Amino acid sequence: MTESENTGFLYPFIESEETDATSLLDDLAASARGKAAESARLQNESLDEYRDALDTAGSEMAERFRRGGRLYTFGNGGSSTDAATLASLFSRPARGRPVAAWSLAADNAVVTALGNDVGFDLIFKRQIIAHARERDIAIGLSTSGNSEDLMTAFTEAKQRGLLTIGFSGHDGGRMATADDIDFCFTVHSQSIHRIQESHAMLGYRLWSVAQERMARPLNGAHTI
Amino acid sequence: MTIAAQPGGSYIDADLSADLAAAALDMARMFHKGATLWVISPQWEPHAHHVAVEFVHPVIMGKRALPSVALVDPDPVAQARVASRPGDLLIAVASANEPAVIDAMRRAQAWGVLTLWIGSGPRPQAGAANHILWIDSDDPMVPATGTFVLLYHLLWELTHVCFEHPGLMKPDADECTDEVCVTCSDEGRLGEVIVEPVDATSSALVRTAAGEEWVDVTMLGDVAPNDLVLVHAGTAITRLDDEHSREERTPDIGQELRR
Repeated sequence: MTESENTGFLYPFIESEETDATSLLDDLAASARGKAAESARLQNESLDEYRDALDTAGSEMAERFRRGGRLYTFGNGGSSTDAATLASLFSRPARGRPVAAWSLAADNAVVTALGNDVGFDLIFKRQIIAHARERDIAIGLSTSGNSEDLMTAFTEAKQRGLLTIGFSGHDGGRMATADDIDFCFTVHSQSIHRIQESHAMLGYRLWSVAQERMARPLNGAHTI
Repeated sequence: MTIAAQPGGSYIDADLSADLAAAALDMARMFHKGATLWVISPQWEPHAHHVAVEFVHPVIMGKRALPSVALVDPDPVAQARVASRPGDLLIAVASANEPAVIDAMRRAQAWGVLTLWIGSGPRPQAGAANHILWIDSDDPMVPATGTFVLLYHLLWELTHVCFEHPGLMKPDADECTDEVCVTCSDEGRLGEVIVEPVDATSSALVRTAAGEEWVDVTMLGDVAPNDLVLVHAGTAITRLDDEHSREERTPDIGQELRR
């Protein structure tokens, strides 16, 4: 089912005299189920498409966490909140082993100081400069794949030897072709909402792989 | 092997989609009348921020920006109490046993605020919120897999569809025909004490869904700010002390209501 089929009823004639909500409620419920089905389909498709890369990236993350590496996540708007959820998943998981992770958008003092003093495009890059060690990890989320503040942060992170992972959407944007991003997971959809839902699922898979790898003895790593 | 998470979309069955539809229509009607949406998520603060930014700055160009604020102070009840006005909306993203959310949802009745509760795991008690949008799964990882994100995305999308139906922005004509309608009658309304009485014979200032009023509290003895009381005909007839006594005393309150 495509997005346009699901939402075709959104733009009928505007009926200001309408008084019975029954048919609207039926339409809304049907729309919710249609969008939910598309969300699930896209999550499964994205997991399938990137199965091997997610395995590799999750394993490399585990290797860095074992060496004391830290995870920095970042994004703008809704993606900044998804970045924060992902950081919490690593640092405060409901089960498994917590590792150091935080969102670079979380501290209002830091973000507004940088935005005001050096410019919004540098709000994440400057924090990477301040915090990052070679063994760390940077994950940026952007549904367009074009956010300038993410791109500058990825470039800085790559130069400093971090593992760089991008979650993108639509056609992948600049993130899809950037040399500075080791793994770019592009969710092929035109809907920002559906892209974000898939980003969460891909992030969850990265966490699952990293957890599984960290639970194994180091000398067994070569058998993966 | 890694444990696969179930796609959030697979939980949206006929019941949950109908719950979402009803919640969205209620939200659209409240926004239409000027509501502000308050959002709390003590366990998962980013979810509160995501809901707020979704409504304030829609991802789809041309959609209305709606007033919505994440309340993430250490005491969300205190924050929601002072922020909210009758006719506002309160969304919680939280598990059913989150104490601050249980308290906020209960007090919202006295604040005149319509409540929605998004979560997973064991369900809240029936009636704990006006709309309970629930993922019936015992997987503790549900909050991190995009499933809650899907729920509030759908809520936003459906709410904006409702705005395309201006004739339906008024409440249903038969909405207030219930035997005991707390907003239309004086059978017994939940109130929260704002100002305690200056002496044993004075009234207390109490906040109910209808606004603020001076209420005779002599039946109860001492009352303090933030106490929850049941107000009937200008008199506070029962005190709801805390969660445990509330559960014990709920049947009694039912009796009072039906007199």
